[in-house]
Amino acid sequence: MDHQHHITPLSTYLTIATTLLFLSGVTVWVSYVDLGAMNIVIAMLIATTKATLVALFFMHLLWDDKKLLTIFVMSLMFLGIFITITLLDTNFRGGVNPEVQLPIDKRSDFYDSLPLTDTHGNPVDKHGSSHPEEDEDHH
Amino acid sequence: MSHDNSSPSFLQHHFHDVKQQYETSKLGMWAFILTEVLTFGGLFVAYIVYRSWYPEMFINANLLLDVNKGLLNTVVLITSSLTMALAIWAIQKKNKNLSLVMLILTFILAFMFLGIKYLEYSHKFEVGQLPGEYYSYMGPEIAHINNPHIFFSIYFIMTGLHGLHVAIGMGLIGWLIYATAKGSLHSKYYTPMEMIGIFWHLVDLIWIYLFPLFYLIG
Repeated sequence: MDHQHHITPLSTYLTIATTLLFLSGVTVWVSYVDLGAMNIVIAMLIATTKATLVALFFMHLLWDDKKLLTIFVMSLMFLGIFITITLLDTNFRGGVNPEVQLPIDKRSDFYDSLPLTDTHGNPVDKHGSSHPEEDEDHH
Repeated sequence: MSHDNSSPSFLQHHFHDVKQQYETSKLGMWAFILTEVLTFGGLFVAYIVYRSWYPEMFINANLLLDVNKGLLNTVVLITSSLTMALAIWAIQKKNKNLSLVMLILTFILAFMFLGIKYLEYSHKFEVGQLPGEYYSYMGPEIAHINNPHIFFSIYFIMTGLHGLHVAIGMGLIGWLIYATAKGSLHSKYYTPMEMIGIFWHLVDLIWIYLFPLFYLIG
C-alpha cells in the first residue's frame, strides 16, 4: 500500500464514547431544570458539542483532508441559510399585515368528532370516570 | 485491466492507483452526506417553523413521549457508533475476528434500536397519537390543547426517516459482516467498511439532535 492511513488510538475512541454518554445524561438531567428560554439553548449546545465530537473523531474529519470537513461545514452553512430565510418569512408576517402576525390557532374540525379518552386512548364518558382535575396537573 | 500484475486485485481499472481510488470513495461519500444533511435539513426547518408558531402545543405533546425509551435509544446508538469505529480500528490492526465481533455487535445494537422504536410506535398506534387526520388521542393531559396532530406528523416523519436509515444501515452492516468473514475486506482494503462507518455515524449524529428536540423540550 502506497499510503498510510491514520489509525486512531483505541483510547481516543473510548474517551469520546464515554464523553458522549456522559453528555447524554447531562442533557436529560438539565432538561428537568427549568431555565425558561435557556433550556432549548443549552440542549442545542450540548447536542452540537456531541455532534462535533462524532464528526471530528468517529467520522475521522480531524485527520482527513480538510476538503471533506469543508464539504460538511458547507452543508451546515446552507442549512443555516435555509432556516434563516424561512424564519424571516414565517416569523415576521405581521410587518405588512398585523392580522397575520400570529398563526391561526384554531382547532382542526376533525377534533370535534373525537371523543375524550383516558390515557390508554379508550373513549370515556364526559361526566363519568374521567378526572377533570388532572387537567391542572399538566401544563 | 490497464494495470500490471503488481497492482492489487481490489484496485479498479479506471483508477490510477490505490490512493486515488480511496480518496475518490471518500469524496463521493461526503458528497452523499451533504445531501443527507440537506434532506433532514428540510424536516428540521419544518420542526423549527411549527414549533415557533405553536410553542405551547409542542411542549404539551412532547410530554406524551417516553424519555426513558428515548435515552435508552441514545445510549444504544452511541454504543453502536463506538463498536462501528472499533470494527474499523480492529481491521486496521489486522485483527479480523475482533472486527467481526464489533460488526456483529453493531448489527445487534441497530436491531435493538429498531426494537425500542417499534415498542414506542406500537404504543402510539394503540392510543391514537398519530399524524394528521389519523390522530384520535384525547387524554386528559392533552384534550385542551389545539392540534397536537401536527407534532405527531413531524415526529413520525423525522423519526421514521431516521429509522429507515437505521434499517438501511443494518442491511449494509450485514453485508460488511459477510464480506469481512469471506475475506474480501482486510487490513489492506477496508474502504467499504470506512464508508458505511461514516454513514452510520451520521445516523448517530442526526439522532443526537432528534432526541433533545422531541423528548426533552419544555
